[in-house]
Amino acid sequence: MTVKVEVIEGGIPHTKIMIAGLICTIVCLYLSYLNVATGTEMFSFFGGLAVISALIWGSHTIKVLCSYGIGTGVPSAGMIAFGSGVIAMLLATKFGIAAPIVALVLAAIIGLVLGYLSNNVLNMKIPVMIQSLTELAVVGALTLMGFAVLMTGSFTFTGLTTGSVTLFGALSMPSYQLSFIGGGLTAVAFLLGAIAIQHPFNACLGPGWKQDRMLMLTAECGFLSMIVAAIMSFALISTGSAILSLLIALIGWVYTYCEYIKLSKRDAFAWLDAKPIPEVEGH
Amino acid sequence: MEQIVFGIGITALAGALATVAGSAEDTESNIGSQGDPNSQVQLAPQMGFVHRIFNKAVAGEPPAYGLWCALGAGLAWAFLAMQINAVLAIVLGSLLAVFVQGVYATTAYLGRTASLSKFGQPVYVDILKSMTTVAMAHAFVAIFCTVTICYLINVALGHPFPLPLLGFIWGITLGAAGSATGNPYYGKERQYQNQKFGAGVPISASGNIVRYAEAGERNSLDNGFFTSKFGGPASGLCFGLIVFLELWRTVVFDKLSPGWGAIIVGILIILIFTIVDRYIEVWARKNYGPYTAPVKEAAP
Amino acid sequence: MTAVAAKPAAGSAMNPTAMVIGVVMLIILLGIAYVVSPGLGLMALIGVVIGGVLIGFGVHFVPVGGAPAAMGQAPGIATGVAMLAAGAGLAGLFGGAWAADQGFVIAVITGGVGGGMMMAITCMMVNFVYVFGMGIPAASGKVAKDPITGDTQPEFKSQGTEGHGLPFVSFVGGVTGGILGGAGGTLIYLELLSLYQATLPTVLNASATQVLPIAVATAGIFAIGMFLVNAVLTAYNITGTIEGPHDPKFKRWPRAIVASAVASALCGLVAILIVTI
Repeated sequence: MTVKVEVIEGGIPHTKIMIAGLICTIVCLYLSYLNVATGTEMFSFFGGLAVISALIWGSHTIKVLCSYGIGTGVPSAGMIAFGSGVIAMLLATKFGIAAPIVALVLAAIIGLVLGYLSNNVLNMKIPVMIQSLTELAVVGALTLMGFAVLMTGSFTFTGLTTGSVTLFGALSMPSYQLSFIGGGLTAVAFLLGAIAIQHPFNACLGPGWKQDRMLMLTAECGFLSMIVAAIMSFALISTGSAILSLLIALIGWVYTYCEYIKLSKRDAFAWLDAKPIPEVEGH
Repeated sequence: MEQIVFGIGITALAGALATVAGSAEDTESNIGSQGDPNSQVQLAPQMGFVHRIFNKAVAGEPPAYGLWCALGAGLAWAFLAMQINAVLAIVLGSLLAVFVQGVYATTAYLGRTASLSKFGQPVYVDILKSMTTVAMAHAFVAIFCTVTICYLINVALGHPFPLPLLGFIWGITLGAAGSATGNPYYGKERQYQNQKFGAGVPISASGNIVRYAEAGERNSLDNGFFTSKFGGPASGLCFGLIVFLELWRTVVFDKLSPGWGAIIVGILIILIFTIVDRYIEVWARKNYGPYTAPVKEAAP
Repeated sequence: MTAVAAKPAAGSAMNPTAMVIGVVMLIILLGIAYVVSPGLGLMALIGVVIGGVLIGFGVHFVPVGGAPAAMGQAPGIATGVAMLAAGAGLAGLFGGAWAADQGFVIAVITGGVGGGMMMAITCMMVNFVYVFGMGIPAASGKVAKDPITGDTQPEFKSQGTEGHGLPFVSFVGGVTGGILGGAGGTLIYLELLSLYQATLPTVLNASATQVLPIAVATAGIFAIGMFLVNAVLTAYNITGTIEGPHDPKFKRWPRAIVASAVASALCGLVAILIVTI
């Protein structure tokens, strides 16, 4: 790509965003555990909020990593984040209530190894590579866990592999095919997250990059993913909880989308409707 | 025997759907200017060439189409699990996936153009309004056809993978095939129409894309019509051949000679395509001739 | 791209200490698998490592030109390397998964042939578009003569470009990359599938036929995840674009073998631990 990428100083420093994102995500994931405490599925929407906080953190990490000119495009960073994250997340679900913490530690280990391999064996020698790949793997794992919670109401292995199919409106049978893992919804969550994490930096790329605009776009992408994930959750959790998640997602999406348009208007050179190409000297 | 005939029928249908999907995918990605040619649309204002092209920077085509098709398939799977009719489920799933695609397209255009404010590239709201819906329509065709293929493969032909996973796989393959075939046609032929035909674009011309069209100023709809003349059908042919031949060799030859039959046919197909490619390459060298006189080899 | 901080050029240099540390990590991971689950688990992990190495090595063959190729300025396919390789490998995995119940060897070869077929068709259509749609013959910018056919290249390169299209050696490279990638991905999938089919019934307390969807879907998503990780690592190794096996960048492949082996071993170990702890 022949695009100039210049860093604009200022804005919230990356460490602050990382710590805030991490704490927010873990807290939201554990808030969803209220599902088990209260025996309902009403708190599944906390999974969606966990996704959004993780994505905000992750998109800023991608911005830090890709400002160094890694040679490949931005989307591959999202792919490697979720490729390593899905593996960590699936093992972590076997640890019951400790699943988010285990996912965090496991993904960090995988990310560290991948970062070491990229920097030293593959000789990329980018200063922030190891830290960024570690962060990205953790973000990937936690985002997928958030999607799993949003769609099924739990982050344990049994919760993600069993569902029930209702025959004739009354008889309810356990079914492995009708579950988050058995139905292959991990693939959908994988791509939803992978595109959502790299889109904000990719879309706001350019000399006029502004941090608040990018982060607002991340929130918008997160809520958009939450909308479709909530619709998919209608098949797996009770209708009431799914409607709650859908409503929260819709309201959040409309708000962030309008804010994003406002910020784009603020930053654009001109906001024209059906006007010709302006005459620029020499061209 | 009946099994094979039924399988061939499904294969033919899947092949036809795949051809339509490939064509629609390439047309949509050129209307939105997605993928590698988009780097020129991004570069042009920086070299002083302000334009009215839709700058849709949503990853590349393979991951983007992987997402739309996986999403469409996942939503269809959810609707099917809720006992909704299959056709309706696929339509609704594709509709919601297209909604997501449209939103991503608009945010990409706004974001990239706002970040180019330093070079005087304005945000054209009318471009946003007119192009997005056209792109969404083409994307719907592509996504619907691909999700239907996945459904047929899963239900009628009995593939073990669940529907969303199949959507993932065929979505990425659709994007890869359409992107590989259609990108040079859009990037070189259309964006650099003012360069001499029959040669690559020299590095010195980077950024100098065509901005004034047959009537008025060029916008992405003109690129869509151009793509549908050659690039779209070529991409459709590519993806259609991939799906059709992959299914055909398994459905027909797996029953006749378990396992090895399909493999031998596959190897034969690869050899046939290698010969065709070599023929095309030699034909071009003979008919087009070199650009300059051949360099005389130094005596050993 | 004007990078933020000046970084020393990645270059093709190999880092011997890092390679040795990589090999040591690989042995440690294999050792952990042996301790946790000798027999089934260790066999699966070895299979996964071989599959990952096949993918990592195979992606080096695929000719990718990136953004310049989309303008006819560089030879190769105008798509990102990780995703093009993923497309080929996944098409192969699709075929391989379908033949899974026909035996191990048949399924892996089917997967390879599927990936190779997808690349053959795609590469042929790329040349088709270049020749008949744009009137541009194929030419390489890195060699004077095509290593396989002996065709001279420089006079067929248009002025101001690095070459364009897919010379025959790039075509063969693409097909080889598709075969290796498809075979590698299918190998990973089959190893994990047989492991899960053997162990999930006891873990979930259900019959084998009931857990088949879980086994298939979990093995499938693991295979895809590992495929993408290996493909992106290779993309980092070749810094985004490569013309094919004749490109000087191809000589960097030993680094990628070590990196892919360690990454696949780690991810495979985690995949195995799901059913063994």
